[in-house]
Amino acid sequence: MSWSEFFDEYQDPLREATWVTVKLAFSSFGLALLVGVIVVSFRVSPIPPLVRVAGWFVAAFRNTPLLVVLFVALFGLGDLGLVFDFYPTAVVALGLYTGAYMAEVLRSGINAVPRGQAEAGRSIGLGFAQLMRFVVIPQAVRTVIGPIGNLFVANFKNTAVASTISVFELTAQSQRMFNDASAGVWRVLAVISALYLLFLLPAGAVFRRLEARFAIKR
Amino acid sequence: MTGNVLIEELGPRGRRRVRVGTGLATVAAVLVLFWMYGRLDGNGQLEAVRWTDLFDSATLRFLGEGLIATIRAAVTAGVVATVVGFAFALMRLSKSRPVRTLAVGWVELFRALPLLLMIFGVFFIDTSIARGRGGDALLGTFWSVVVALVLYNSAVLSEIFRAGVRSLDSGQSEAAKAVGMTYWQMMFVVVLPQAVRRMVPAIVAQMATLTKDVSLGFVIGYEEFVRRGAGTPNFGDPEVTNFQAYVSIGIVYFILVWAMAGLAKRLEQRQSRALKVAAADRDPDQDLDLGAGDTLGAGPA
Repeated sequence: MSWSEFFDEYQDPLREATWVTVKLAFSSFGLALLVGVIVVSFRVSPIPPLVRVAGWFVAAFRNTPLLVVLFVALFGLGDLGLVFDFYPTAVVALGLYTGAYMAEVLRSGINAVPRGQAEAGRSIGLGFAQLMRFVVIPQAVRTVIGPIGNLFVANFKNTAVASTISVFELTAQSQRMFNDASAGVWRVLAVISALYLLFLLPAGAVFRRLEARFAIKR
Repeated sequence: MTGNVLIEELGPRGRRRVRVGTGLATVAAVLVLFWMYGRLDGNGQLEAVRWTDLFDSATLRFLGEGLIATIRAAVTAGVVATVVGFAFALMRLSKSRPVRTLAVGWVELFRALPLLLMIFGVFFIDTSIARGRGGDALLGTFWSVVVALVLYNSAVLSEIFRAGVRSLDSGQSEAAKAVGMTYWQMMFVVVLPQAVRRMVPAIVAQMATLTKDVSLGFVIGYEEFVRRGAGTPNFGDPEVTNFQAYVSIGIVYFILVWAMAGLAKRLEQRQSRALKVAAADRDPDQDLDLGAGDTLGAGPA
């Protein structure tokens, strides 16, 4: 099989698979941001049961392989009467998994704001919302841009695991092509890798620039 | 006394609100648990026999072999990746530009690719070479998993080692040069022993992540823990379904990874007491999982 025959045969499936990977990466990351914000708001709240539940949530997802999370989601959600298709199950599982890491990142950002900053804000009469809006969040966001970028890249790479529950994304496409002996294993590996790098290298560069741009210069 | 920057000492009204919130949250949690219990029970997933059958001696042996296969792959890959990662860190610190470029290229490439794709790649390249020669596969599933894990983790570990070297005070290498040591004497006698010791907690944390990642060997048929879990419903007693199998696998995995993360944290705490390393000196990438008060856990991939 020549390169042109290869592309004639695999152009469309590759485009579709890439699209599924990108869609899955962005929707699960969006969910992860939402989950992270909710969980971290529980974790930093003064209400003990919420703090504890959020802690368990984070610990559970950080110490279990993503593959097991996906399988438990696939079978467990069904048993709870929440029947999803494969793709939404993958979005939910990835979103919860990355969301647990997101909660940790956001918490480390909040904890990186010196206590004196909040005390100073209160002493000039800021209420809770104002304190968050003008003092804590602007400083916390700056410190978490880098770690959030790392999570984006990790989540993008983790979309590959969704291939195990029949989501037809890039890695599943690679498997199908690997099984076609005439496609050539090295060529398949090179093409699929290049497609991942096409997104991941710019993403890494963008987040590094953002981090440098917004870093707190002390 | 609450533990973060957002909340000051509460007055009587605040304390009352916290009590009300505690009550509401507890009620909500109980309702959710009750709903889940009802659903699972309604589907028969909580019947005792489905769980007790997991403790059948044949089933336990079947799962135990999988757990041992997981640990074997993790230990092998961990040791090899540490050695290879160390070599790449040395290359990256080298004075020769081509050597540095090679190391940077390797690290950036293998950190950026999904591990699952690498496992498929190694496995299918291995089988295609075997098909070409008409012989047996050279690596097989175990070594395919190990090689892919080494490719990825050696890249990550070399960054950890490099961060360790960079975190050392430059006075250390200057002093070594001042007493007339050569480059290699300086590295092996002065710089690396300190750098490696400093990075031990980060390395242990990476090993916890690696142990989670062994589960991806599932996809090429390596008989590790999760694959044995998937096989359990069809093995021996059919009373066990996927739900019981995967929940139990998850619990055992949790304990294993949690214990490793706990060890990493203990080492980290002991070290920061002994060394009083300023956290800002170190690469924040590597430190994310080890900060004080964090939940115990491994990395995302």
